[in-house]
Amino acid sequence: MTLLQFVQGPLWYFASAVFVLGVLWRLIAMVMIGKPRDLSAARTSSFGGGIKAILLHSVPHGGNLARTIYHFLVGYAFHIGLFVLVLFAAPHVRFIEERLLGWAWTPVPGWGFALAAQFAFAGLILLYIRRLTDPVMRKLSDWDDHIGTWLVFLVMLTGCLALQESHDGLRLIHLLSVEALMIYFPFSRLMHAFTFAFSRYNTGATYGRRGVTP
Amino acid sequence: MVDVRRSVSGLARGLAPIALFLMLALQILAPSLAEAQSSVRAPGNAVVNAVPPPMGSAPDTATQGTPPGDALGNSSDSESWRKIRQGVPGHVNNTDAYGSRGALIESSGENWRLWRNDYVVRYGGMVLLGVLTILAVFFAIRGRMRISGGRTGKVIPRFSLVERITHWFVAILFVFLGTSGLIILFGKLLLLPLIGPKAFGLFASASLEGHNLFGPIFAVAILALFFVFVRGNGYKFIDLVWAIKGGGFFGGHPSSGRYNFGEKSWFWWATICGIALTLTGFAMLLPEIAASVSTALVGPEMTGRLFLQFAHLVHAVAAIAFIAFGIGHIYLGTVGMEGALEGMTRGYVDENWAKEHHDLWYEEHKAHAVTDTVKAETEAAAGHV
Repeated sequence: MTLLQFVQGPLWYFASAVFVLGVLWRLIAMVMIGKPRDLSAARTSSFGGGIKAILLHSVPHGGNLARTIYHFLVGYAFHIGLFVLVLFAAPHVRFIEERLLGWAWTPVPGWGFALAAQFAFAGLILLYIRRLTDPVMRKLSDWDDHIGTWLVFLVMLTGCLALQESHDGLRLIHLLSVEALMIYFPFSRLMHAFTFAFSRYNTGATYGRRGVTP
Repeated sequence: MVDVRRSVSGLARGLAPIALFLMLALQILAPSLAEAQSSVRAPGNAVVNAVPPPMGSAPDTATQGTPPGDALGNSSDSESWRKIRQGVPGHVNNTDAYGSRGALIESSGENWRLWRNDYVVRYGGMVLLGVLTILAVFFAIRGRMRISGGRTGKVIPRFSLVERITHWFVAILFVFLGTSGLIILFGKLLLLPLIGPKAFGLFASASLEGHNLFGPIFAVAILALFFVFVRGNGYKFIDLVWAIKGGGFFGGHPSSGRYNFGEKSWFWWATICGIALTLTGFAMLLPEIAASVSTALVGPEMTGRLFLQFAHLVHAVAAIAFIAFGIGHIYLGTVGMEGALEGMTRGYVDENWAKEHHDLWYEEHKAHAVTDTVKAETEAAAGHV
């Protein structure tokens, strides 16, 4: 078995299993923890508060536009770009069709891919530079933030470098970085991809019940 | 009915190459027959395009009546081949959107290849190697330039968070595009013999993809760099004095404000090279648009292909100029000078460093000198510089 066959075969299945089981384990664990019952009388709907928090925290609000606009713009550029790359890049759509689902959707054209990749890269680089240069952000960051950022960057970079799909070596490097990310993902803050909506809802619901807008 | 259509289509496809071959043959034969020459065999100089002249010799495709280069053979029909290269409008219907109408052979491609290999690669490589050698010798003789009088322990905020983020954004892209660009330009000469064709193919393919992808981001970054740093980078008389004194590299410290002559020159150098790289880079990324714009602006003689060849050469020269100056900037910002890097990493500089290298700026800001580096960094991040 060649290294490429190993990476495309056993290691891929192992990484996928770790990813799926790890994410499920983290989500179930969050639900299982539960929280103490709130015995106070609800002033307003906790559900409404939760939804409001999800929506409100997705746009600049609260009069702190100057402080948050950078994060919003750059953050959206990165996340939307990454979303398009992962789910709509032609090689990924083909992979999903051939190896995962048996069917797939229409991929973005070449120019769409390039644009999404440029937004994603610019966003990620700018977010990371801020993490390193802003004195507060730097002190808030730990190894998990750095490892997570570098792994995502490597996955994006190796994927884009292998775009011509003409060298097995480039595909091998891309797959290896993807598998490393999948194994690391459930045990890191990258889990926010699955948990951000729940955590925002939870905070909003708590405040909503007390009649406060966070 | 369907079968008939398929048959006709297949026949047309089969006849097309034959017709093309006949047209080519006629174009070659016709001038010779008209001039009643005995031989219609392709002359020896026909292989000049495939076998370039030795390195160092000037590109030459316009010889008059004699076999150019080191062509072999005892007969030459230079006139016929010249006509084929130059074309006769109305005789050949060339539908190539980038090429010269009526020309069967694009000699400009050979010219471009020779310019690239004989001049840009050769002299560009010499420039980069020369800069590295000069810096290595300078470092060996002078060593690291220390802060005179040592560190005071007091620091002054110098660069805001916006300035530092913009700087590092450009720097990261510069390193990535510079590395991938150098592999594209020099890889065949330097990497191929070292790592072999398979590994080189991998590197070259990855470099090209990465270069094309990061290029447009760099265009935005260089624009941001210009607007963020243009304040204070206008030349003044004091900069002339600084330049005449050699910037204090050989002793003494000429006065300067927020930026000295060298820094200002680097700023304008980066801006001009950045504009050249951006324009030519986009031309190569979007060849169809570049072809129509170049022809519309200059005229039909500026074909799309000619413009792209020109754009490529300008791109390579601007990149080498940018990288050469950039190496000096990186040297001074890291190993070459004590106390310079922290201005861009933490946003503050030591008081003595400021006094030594930017005395006029120091006089304006010395009241902000503090021993609390956390406070200085926070002040700098907030833009109080």
